[in-house]
Amino acid sequence: MTMDQLELKRAISGDEAALRRLWTQHSPHIDAVVRRLCGDPDLAADVSQEVWMQIFRALPSYRGDSQFGTWAHRIAVNRTLNALRKVRRVAGIETDIEDDTASVEMDSDRTFLAETIEQAITQLSPGARAVFVLHDVEGYTHGEIGEELGITAGGSKSQLFKARAKLRKLLAHLVDDNSSVATVAGKVNVAPI
Amino acid sequence: MSLLSEEELDVMVDRERTKGFPPLNDWDTIAARLREEGIIRDRGRRVVTAGGNWWLRAAAVVMIAIGSAAVGRYTATRLPDQTSVAVATAEPTPARQASNTAPTAGSTDFRSADEAWAVLNRAGAEYQKASAYLAANNSVQNVRADSAPVYQSRLAALDQVMQATHSALNQAPNDPVINQYYLATMGAREATRQQLSAVQTVGAKLKGF
Repeated sequence: MTMDQLELKRAISGDEAALRRLWTQHSPHIDAVVRRLCGDPDLAADVSQEVWMQIFRALPSYRGDSQFGTWAHRIAVNRTLNALRKVRRVAGIETDIEDDTASVEMDSDRTFLAETIEQAITQLSPGARAVFVLHDVEGYTHGEIGEELGITAGGSKSQLFKARAKLRKLLAHLVDDNSSVATVAGKVNVAPI
Repeated sequence: MSLLSEEELDVMVDRERTKGFPPLNDWDTIAARLREEGIIRDRGRRVVTAGGNWWLRAAAVVMIAIGSAAVGRYTATRLPDQTSVAVATAEPTPARQASNTAPTAGSTDFRSADEAWAVLNRAGAEYQKASAYLAANNSVQNVRADSAPVYQSRLAALDQVMQATHSALNQAPNDPVINQYYLATMGAREATRQQLSAVQTVGAKLKGF
């Protein structure tokens, strides 16, 4: 039995120290995806708590087929999207994507200048934000995103295109201000659209 | 106003991907709910006598000292060079000065072992949160591209410490001091991993977690 298996066995048996170690090790990544998908920090804190409860409840069903972090990450994404649907924050996703002519940009966004990409992401519609975060940040394929959100891969691509266009506009002033963004060189490894 | 280019956006996304965040909740909140649902099954905590296990307590003190120094160096505007890694010779930093002058109300006036452990646990949790916060907010602008070997060495050392403490946990799974030691190392390792990610080439992508 490996150390990780031993640790999981202890966690499943209700050992608080082992449970806490799992949380400490994985919360930076799990909480990050919850925070990005939610946009709102207060909502993210509530959702994150539910996510961790669900992870620990489901722990006995973890078979070790994938890495624990990957398994927990899936639960986090599913649980967060469900929570967002419940609060009607993702209610418009399907409509947005089905209607390709619908703009994700509102007039008020024209005057909004984001200082960071995290800030800019919060200005996206919930659907566009989910697609952007899952694809560009978390590395999901459009097929996987389609399954998660109940949309087509084409719809996901379309939403991503709009999200990126909006982010480029929201963050454009950083280039104009000759910020560090413009000076960063090097190849970027981002999952293909 | 010109648009941000696709490549520039990709650079920002890449930075965002490796960025760390402090936890959204504290462990005590989650633990309370886990207890309510019976997922945490408390066992009788073994009382550690001061006389018989003084070395464990000393180890905890050393770990906290090392941890504080690590945070201090972590926040320093000048990166450590290869010859000045030893934490004992680290120059004072804002974080260290803060820790020297921070109030320690009640720390010398414990009424019970449980009370002392509660303070220790709280301090451990605060340390982890502070490490995560500093990793997220105070490192990227201060890193240099040539500092990767320093972080790699530190990461390797912390990996060894984690293995050692993990082995110790196999022998004494409920020992709170070893747990503190392990958690503190884990926090420092995560902070170092994020620092390393920040200084590596933009094209380098972390493989899982």
